[in-house]
Amino acid sequence: MTATSFARACALAAAFTVSSVTAASAGDYSITVDRVALETGDFAKTAIGYNGSSTPTILRFKEGEEVTIAVTNNLAEDTSIHWHGLILPYQQDGVPGISYEGIKSGETFTYRFPIVQSGTYWFHSHTGFQEPDGAYGAIVIEPQGREPFRFDRDYVVQLTDAHPHSGERIMRNLKLMPDYYNRQQRTFLDFLNDSRDQGLSAALADRSAWGEMRMMPTDVEDLQGFTPLINGMGPSQNWTGLFEPGERIRLRFINSSAMTYFDIRIPGLQMTVVQADGNNVQPVTVDELRIAVAETYDVIVRPTEDRAYTVFAESMGRTAFARGTLAPRSGMEAEVPDLREPPLLTMADMGMAHGEHGSMDQGAMGQGAMDHGSNQPTHTMPDSRVMQGMNHGTMDHSAMGHGTMGQSSGQPTHIMSDGSVMQGMDHGTMAAAPADPFYAPGSGLTPQAADGGKFLSYADLKAQKPLYEHRDATREIELRLTGNMERYIWSINGVKFSDAEPIRLQYGERVRFKFVNETMMTHPMHLHGMWSILDVGQGKWNPIKHVVSVAPGTTVFMETEVDAPGQWAFHCHLSYHADSGMFRKVVVEGGPVGKSADLDTTSNHTTGG
Amino acid sequence: MNHRLYARAVAAALALSLSVAGIASAQMSHGGGHGAAMSIGQPGDASAVGRTIEITMHDNYYEPETLSVSEGETVRFLVKNAGAIVHEFNIATAEMHKAHEAEMQMLVDHGVLMPDRIDRAAAEKMKTSMGHGMHAAGNSLLLEPGQSGELIWRFADAKDLEFACNVPGHYQAGMMGDFRKAN
Repeated sequence: MTATSFARACALAAAFTVSSVTAASAGDYSITVDRVALETGDFAKTAIGYNGSSTPTILRFKEGEEVTIAVTNNLAEDTSIHWHGLILPYQQDGVPGISYEGIKSGETFTYRFPIVQSGTYWFHSHTGFQEPDGAYGAIVIEPQGREPFRFDRDYVVQLTDAHPHSGERIMRNLKLMPDYYNRQQRTFLDFLNDSRDQGLSAALADRSAWGEMRMMPTDVEDLQGFTPLINGMGPSQNWTGLFEPGERIRLRFINSSAMTYFDIRIPGLQMTVVQADGNNVQPVTVDELRIAVAETYDVIVRPTEDRAYTVFAESMGRTAFARGTLAPRSGMEAEVPDLREPPLLTMADMGMAHGEHGSMDQGAMGQGAMDHGSNQPTHTMPDSRVMQGMNHGTMDHSAMGHGTMGQSSGQPTHIMSDGSVMQGMDHGTMAAAPADPFYAPGSGLTPQAADGGKFLSYADLKAQKPLYEHRDATREIELRLTGNMERYIWSINGVKFSDAEPIRLQYGERVRFKFVNETMMTHPMHLHGMWSILDVGQGKWNPIKHVVSVAPGTTVFMETEVDAPGQWAFHCHLSYHADSGMFRKVVVEGGPVGKSADLDTTSNHTTGG
Repeated sequence: MNHRLYARAVAAALALSLSVAGIASAQMSHGGGHGAAMSIGQPGDASAVGRTIEITMHDNYYEPETLSVSEGETVRFLVKNAGAIVHEFNIATAEMHKAHEAEMQMLVDHGVLMPDRIDRAAAEKMKTSMGHGMHAAGNSLLLEPGQSGELIWRFADAKDLEFACNVPGHYQAGMMGDFRKAN
């Protein structure tokens, strides 16, 4: 038997095994891509939606199923659908220019792939700005066996940041004026308050540092003025999920926003996180969690009282909130909390929080930032480099501030691996709650639970059942997340997508990616086709994700078992960052004959509609 | 497994049936104003065992998830951890479980309770530094993956009794079951 025919026989055998244990082994689905009317309660516009609706479509699959999904493009332009987080042959991944050519106006493309996983995922257009314009839906995959947790009912809670402007218009405006959508510009009154709090010279120095960088402490969200939606409904429209008191409810949170991170809580209920990015995690009970763009978290809540509870999701920059309700009967409402004060970025988020800089960072930075410097070799950064970066007067992040990130990168690994979290961290200098190692010490973005309870950290995530045998990475690839805010160019290693060579990986490698965030924005990095094993210092228990959020001034590691031949997208999932260049093509070379890489791309493309 | 081998496994497991504060008194001691204190029962006598119930602990659920017992009945529980994660079998009320989970969280925070094992060195260290460590409690078994244990319990009059795993997060995820009272 030749290698090829052997592989085919194996594939056949595998397909047979799957179908013999699954009742419904094949499912046909169809999706239309349409212009739809969107009414958020704050504004109305023509948006893009699936199956003629602005309510997100939910696809329900079963693990082991072979799905056939016919996608018909009723738009006047090209479209595409990417199945976010699904493991599939690369030709089915739905990224125009990488997986296939996309779907022309009036045509139908039929996707065919096996469902090899379970959990909560989502899908969206990977063409232009159709996703910010509403082209997103949810995927719920039931496992073959039972879930490692119990629930009586479940709801998809899909968040987005609907904007009255079209995605194209937003991109144009950001290119023209990067702070076009920043409505939180600091005023002279803020300056007077800073002077009172910090002293005049510190306030002046602080002002001057920010000014020279063309950044502001309020640059947490570069897109504001949106209305957050839950399942297509604005806060006043109040999406409601019903329950009987005492039931366990599984909420499948999906953040389908173009740009917005949300801090989610349900006052009166604790949430037990059981899944992150579709993969089960060892359950951890929290009062609040932050969901990065494109992440999913599944939580179990158990309301026992006969009353309504508000699902409250504040944007990370505190410019808006999504609101829904869990209630025993429809029409019930609970109190809606006020938005908390917006966070202000600090010098730590600039990657510049060093004790050495004296008066410059006084007041702006948290004390914690100084304490890690001494024993971290990567932390010592020549002063000249800092000043150089600042004197540019632009937001040229690549010129400034590397080196600082090492401080937090080393932290999670070294602190957590021996379990001695408390000893490893100098709590004396931190705020009341233990600092989250995934934020720069002193960062203005470090989340805190609204009512003083527990806020989920990446450090809390442990795989429930490791997907891969744990082993050392075979090589490391450093990816500096870089940008020029002035020109609204976002890049990797200082090179934007259009000028970059693909990242070439070999089948069978285990690659350790080192993300060094040299910008002041938080970037949710998404690798298609293969899992991102986030290093939280837990070895074999490190969680398996598809999005890894990298906060300003931090370094985060993830590892990938390179097991999917073909070519894949790898990018920041903030729509306007991805489009302006923080994007790479990944090519996986080699691999067993007969695997997905030599499937024919064009065979499932039909004309019609 | 023959009886003697089983007994040995049980002895090994019992050494692991640990809890920080322990629930030495099986009386429900919360002053919740429930009137006369009801009893969750107490460790039972092997000679009084009327029947044996086998419990399998998976990640993260029990099989079976519901049991029927009678007041005054003495039951031998043979508990096996068939999962890859440490689990507990603990007989108490919901309120007691909640209090116990806070203690288990301390074990996690001190590196004693790891996902798939109990770090005895860390437990010793914790005992030294806090003057308080883990000790056996008659109403619970804490089992590492692959381990089995035995617990003999004499049920009393408490109505809202549950068996649960208090490894943090497990109870809320659904790793608990109800005792239905037959009388």
